[in-house]
Amino acid sequence: MIKIVLLVISAEIVTALGHLLFKSATNSVGRHDLRRPGSVFKFVGEVLSKKAIWAGLAAMMAGLAIWVAALAQGDLSLVYSLGSLQYLIILFSAHFFLGEKIERMKVIGTFLVVAGIILIMLS
Amino acid sequence: MIKSRLTLKIFLLIVLNDIGDTLAQFLMKKGLIQTGINSITLVNMAEFISKNAGSLILWAGLAVYIFNFFIWIIVLYRADLSVAMPVGSTSYILVPVVAAVFLHERVDALRWAGIFLIVLGIHFVSQSKSGRRAEKA
Repeated sequence: MIKIVLLVISAEIVTALGHLLFKSATNSVGRHDLRRPGSVFKFVGEVLSKKAIWAGLAAMMAGLAIWVAALAQGDLSLVYSLGSLQYLIILFSAHFFLGEKIERMKVIGTFLVVAGIILIMLS
Repeated sequence: MIKSRLTLKIFLLIVLNDIGDTLAQFLMKKGLIQTGINSITLVNMAEFISKNAGSLILWAGLAVYIFNFFIWIIVLYRADLSVAMPVGSTSYILVPVVAAVFLHERVDALRWAGIFLIVLGIHFVSQSKSGRRAEKA
């Protein structure tokens, strides 16, 4: 039980790192007007030229591997319920590492989503 | 700093990303089942890989995943990560609703309560004003 909880939490942290790296990559590109198809391609090209996006992909794959290891050993609904902690990890880590605001509406909404996912998984 | 809320366009992109994610998982699962191998050992590893490599449906799933990745980076370009992530939980709603409508699966009260909380949560999060990089919006 404790082993599975630790596995899921480490999968969460590694996956969150992947999301943070993705976001830092898209934060570091220049201005693009994404309403024009041409600049969408330019934007994608610029994002793919960032090291952070590839580091993020590597983190995502590592996270997925740990996740599968947890799924293979644990009860599906427990693992998925714990998985909803991801939203809280992102809420706080996006604040500390990317400077995104933690505000009341966001906090209330995130907790509601987490509670909802746990209810669905328990049903 | 310009305060901007989540726009409808970005919201729809997030939902599209969720639909893609669900579709990709469905296709990959179907592809993996079709190989007829349910336990992987060192002995049948080569057979497992070669059967999967020839599975069109598995490749289709992968293609959807790659397409989804591009949608996601566009979403991240325009929205806060801490907004995009919870709003991306629409798949938790889509799957049971689709299962109820098209597959006539029963959705019990606890599940409806969970769906309701998620809808409410997404509403709250999408009402929050996004900060930092709003100048790009």
